[in-house]
Amino acid sequence: METSVLNRLDSTASRFAGKVIFRDSESELTFAQFDALTKSIGTALAERLPAGSPVAVMSGRHVTTPACFLGAVRAGCFYAPMDGDMPKARLNQILGVIKTKLMLVDRAHLEIAQSLDFDGETVVMEDILETPVNEELISSRAATLTLTSPLYVIFTSGSTGVPKGVITSHQSLMCYIDSVAKVLSVDSDDVFGNQSPLDYIAAVRDIYLPITFGASTYIIPKNEFAVPTMLFDTLNREKITALCWSVAGVELPAKLGAFDLSKPEYLKKLCFSGSVMPCKYLKIWQEHLPDVLYVNQYGPTEATASCTYYTVTEKVDDDTVLPIGKPYDNYRILLLSEENEAVPEGEIGEICVSGPILALGYYGNHEQTEKSFMQNPLNDNYRELIYKTGDLGSLAPDGNLLFHGRKDRQIKHLGHRIELGEIEETSRKVRGVNDCCSLYNKEKATLYLFYTGEATSKDIVLYFRQNMPAFMVPRKLINLEALPTLPNGKIDMQTLKSYFK
Amino acid sequence: MMDELMEILQELRPDVDFENETALITDGVLDSFDIVALVGELNDAFDIEIKPNNLVPDNFNSAAAMLKLIEQLQDD
Repeated sequence: METSVLNRLDSTASRFAGKVIFRDSESELTFAQFDALTKSIGTALAERLPAGSPVAVMSGRHVTTPACFLGAVRAGCFYAPMDGDMPKARLNQILGVIKTKLMLVDRAHLEIAQSLDFDGETVVMEDILETPVNEELISSRAATLTLTSPLYVIFTSGSTGVPKGVITSHQSLMCYIDSVAKVLSVDSDDVFGNQSPLDYIAAVRDIYLPITFGASTYIIPKNEFAVPTMLFDTLNREKITALCWSVAGVELPAKLGAFDLSKPEYLKKLCFSGSVMPCKYLKIWQEHLPDVLYVNQYGPTEATASCTYYTVTEKVDDDTVLPIGKPYDNYRILLLSEENEAVPEGEIGEICVSGPILALGYYGNHEQTEKSFMQNPLNDNYRELIYKTGDLGSLAPDGNLLFHGRKDRQIKHLGHRIELGEIEETSRKVRGVNDCCSLYNKEKATLYLFYTGEATSKDIVLYFRQNMPAFMVPRKLINLEALPTLPNGKIDMQTLKSYFK
Repeated sequence: MMDELMEILQELRPDVDFENETALITDGVLDSFDIVALVGELNDAFDIEIKPNNLVPDNFNSAAAMLKLIEQLQDD
């Protein structure tokens, strides 16, 4: 039985030694080279840190970044990826939660790293790539890992204004990878086109499907997504067969008319997740690529990327609403009422997940962990944790799960999960903002901020650009004399929505 | 027309110096989601239709280049 993802890397590194595992626009690594790099990085880290330590990794969109992640694992540690393009204030918040003693950065991010509130050791990745491998040291570190050891901590928006670090174990990740691979029939001939930022949950497929099955991943340069013709040329040049993209990423080429000029000739499978797919865009993909396998995925980071999947068997129309489907292997889904009882068949309840794929909780945050991961109220007999997603669902007669939106004020914007409460918390920190309310116009995919006070919209946007990730910056800012209220004193969001028009 | 364009750009990204930037796409100052929003706004404001083959870095790297593209599309 496997004990960690390292078993998988050891196996593919010997079976596929000369084959490419990761490629970017400038370089590539074979399985053997990648494996060697993880051991060098692992040795360098193990010499500096005890097993079980978090390693913050801030590195760009290139082939060495996944080697840094797995290097941390070789050292018996776990990694917390950080996106160096995020504003300093956000990176400092993440460092404040993860409290790492070591930050591993590529040279391009060294200056940013040095400007952060961090008193630990900053190690430049390029300086340790050739560290002589200490086999004894890293195999002793590998022996400290168990299936339930943390593998990575990925940060997501928290409604209190501080990001939450979701901890995923080796076991959870491997369960998910094996289940999704079964649905997509992944094999060593597959070439994935990575869209997701490498620090984001969606990248785990592009990293671990190759490590598990001997497939390859091409890391697509970020600015190609702004230029649809370049994007499809790249997919064809790299003979990409499989894409696991955010819904927002899948929409882009369809929205920008990329299919008018060319199409991805080698594509066999496309799975998408992150938000509800508007089928008018999926229809364009289906019309041009009718033989591709399309898979709709649903699930939160807390249940390791995705819980359920639906293979699109029908030709979709503009108004088709896709089910979120059936649970992956090793995932169990319950629908609970407000009173924590099972909902009658066909009725709407909160989607709850259990199984070995549950996250280990939120890093350094017992209170939030206890609140979100609780004993299954339907089980009095033994310990069985469930995660309450906050999403609403119902079971269709054909056994497929249907999605009915959120219970709270969490939204999905451009593939990212955002708490509107966090947008408001941030706005209140801007000088000259008195009161505010943030709303999301789903139809136009636009984040709104309604506010009172002297601040100009420029002041607010600049503050966000300096403190928050780009996807959390409101696009439309509306200054009001006063926010409309309901008789009970709460903000009247329906009236505010009339500004969407 | 430049004023109107500048106004749209400034509202889209008040943190960017559109007067002096000349590598908005190449340097990744504007991301793909900015471009989607921008294309919609420009199409509406100037009554043009920006086509996928217009979406190349040369046409969007600077405000001046965008203006040239708009004028060219209006003439067509």
